[in-house]
Amino acid sequence: MRNKDLSFWLFLAPVLFALGTVVLIPLLYGIYYSFTDWNGVSYTQFLGLDNYVTLLKDEGFRDALWFTVKFSVASVIVINILGLALAMLVTSKIKSRNLLRTVFFMPNLIGGLILGFIWQFIFTKVFDSIGRATGIEWMQGWLSDSATGFWGMVILMSWQMAGYIMVIYIAYLENVPGDLLEAAEIDGANPWQKFRNITFPLVMPAFTVSMFLTLSGAFKIYDQNLSLTNGGPFNSTKMVAMDIVDTAFKFNMMATAQAKAVIFFIIVAIISLTQVYINKKREVEM
Amino acid sequence: MFKKKAFVLSSALFLGLAGCSTAEEESGSSNDSGSGSGDKTVVDVFQFKVEFKEQFEELAKQYEEENPDVDINVETVGGGNDYASALKAKFSSGDEPAIFNIGGPTAVAEYRDRLTDLSDTEAAGAALEGTLDTVTEGEEVLGLPFNQEGYGFVYNKTVFEEAGVDPESIKSIEDLTKAAETIDSKKDELGLDGVFAMAAKEKWVDGNHGSNAFTSADFNDSALEAFNSKELPFTKADQFKTYIDLQNKYSVQPVVSLDYSQQVEELFSTGRVAMIQQGNWVYPTIEQMDPELAQNVGIMPIPVDGEMKMPVGVPQYWTVNAKADETEQEAAKAFLDWMYTSEEGKEAVLTQFKFIPAYDGYDTDKISDPLSKTIYEYAQEGNTRGWTFLGYPTGWGDVLGANLQKYLAGEASWDEAIQASKDEWAKLAK
Repeated sequence: MRNKDLSFWLFLAPVLFALGTVVLIPLLYGIYYSFTDWNGVSYTQFLGLDNYVTLLKDEGFRDALWFTVKFSVASVIVINILGLALAMLVTSKIKSRNLLRTVFFMPNLIGGLILGFIWQFIFTKVFDSIGRATGIEWMQGWLSDSATGFWGMVILMSWQMAGYIMVIYIAYLENVPGDLLEAAEIDGANPWQKFRNITFPLVMPAFTVSMFLTLSGAFKIYDQNLSLTNGGPFNSTKMVAMDIVDTAFKFNMMATAQAKAVIFFIIVAIISLTQVYINKKREVEM
Repeated sequence: MFKKKAFVLSSALFLGLAGCSTAEEESGSSNDSGSGSGDKTVVDVFQFKVEFKEQFEELAKQYEEENPDVDINVETVGGGNDYASALKAKFSSGDEPAIFNIGGPTAVAEYRDRLTDLSDTEAAGAALEGTLDTVTEGEEVLGLPFNQEGYGFVYNKTVFEEAGVDPESIKSIEDLTKAAETIDSKKDELGLDGVFAMAAKEKWVDGNHGSNAFTSADFNDSALEAFNSKELPFTKADQFKTYIDLQNKYSVQPVVSLDYSQQVEELFSTGRVAMIQQGNWVYPTIEQMDPELAQNVGIMPIPVDGEMKMPVGVPQYWTVNAKADETEQEAAKAFLDWMYTSEEGKEAVLTQFKFIPAYDGYDTDKISDPLSKTIYEYAQEGNTRGWTFLGYPTGWGDVLGANLQKYLAGEASWDEAIQASKDEWAKLAK
């Protein structure tokens, strides 16, 4: 951090250029538009906080926000448990572990839209046929009510993200010193005790990283939402990102959508910054 | 100290950037709107009908061959809301097309300052009566109709025959109910999953099309009147309920997760349901899935007040951008005229696009598919209902669709669903 001369800024310029044109300038414009009656093409007057006041009364937005929060919490828990379990599996001594790593990671390489359609088929067709054939009631009629819509989203998201999170856990698991585990084994610790008292504390930093990734990922989800449920039934599975897009393009209320986006931005920023802060603090302690 | 320097430097950089980018944009657009490459006039077309993309591009090529000084650039973005947002994005980015599409009065109001008067075109003169209503302002005609479309219950004639129900005899909702009961009682013999396939997941199916049959009377069949109305009377809400309940009762379940492709492709085209509420646009799909079944489909209107009136309307209009330069505007008009009034154009419209023409002077015997034919007959007899849903406040069809889903899922009573939709209308229409 010493040589902040001309060459420092010169090397930084391309990044600043890119960041400025595609992130910072649009962001500032966006915030500005949220105070006007912008319709996507032009605006005629400055409204001040009017758009934000409308938001407070907007039930659709509140519902979407609440749904997103519930969804994020559930996803974070499921994804991390799954990710850690998969990581433990592929770092154990089973034979097909290299193949399994690839297989588990693969869902992450498929685009969200396609995944959504694949799972839509599984939920509405495969689940339904199995349910009908065996008479299991809970497997029928998936995605036709809000509860199955919710869990459908969580399952889809977990399936997609677990492989990615697994990779992070693998990195930490492989760094757990073998001698510690061996010592514990000699001392007579059973597998659960070894996991609980040695492995788990040592992979805790991975948990912070993963939680940050999954939480912000789950919050910003759009394409999976669009292709799996499209917010239905009766908009009960509509997430914030989709609500913003709908407000802007379906209802043609660009400025209101912009205000929603600003609120959304603030929430995501708070989550992310908190995570980074906690992360940093942990690192110092270690 | 460093921080301050960084801030000054980076903000200077940004300002410079902003300056650059606008300058570039301006020069770019002036290039575009000029006479383009060489002496050719470039006409950018931004259209929404995915179904006839290839045929349309083919026709554009044909036109280019006949008129070597014109270059038609076709860009297509898929139907409904996607098109509306893509068009908006195009306009806000400054890359405005010369020819684009608008739906009803809502879009006219939105793009008013970009619409050229087309009343001097030949096509405008040939347009059938009533098709220009929503795009006429005083003496000015702001759009040219694509085609006509109609919807109602598309039914499988074979199933009706085997069940012993004569579709011609259905004249009211009571008749339809009886027919549904009869078919339902013979479901197993006929190999049906249900009488209807109600695609309640698609909010537009009932929110726009279904409801239209029951709201058009409130607005005298006029989309403009609907557009100008501050509230929705919905005097026929009770009949609408009967209609929704009937479909739901005899439909393949669960309706709220049943989508368009399931409805048309998976259930109707395979002969697993007797009828679906859709329009003539499903015909090519059915034909592709099962040409034999496609021979035996018919369409009937949604019965309201014991009347069988087919809702026929113009789904989309061609418009010419008033901000494009003169030569481009003229070329655009000439192209649209050629498409709808020249012999080659007419031929393509009927046989290639498979449109129900919205213009005079067509050899209507060439309408090949049975659905379009029936709809055209209804239109000729004047036995039609207007597409008032084109005048619903922006997004309202979706609101109603969502409320109907709520009702169908048992989360709201009928009155609650209708009241909530009415309230939303009042909010959106202000």
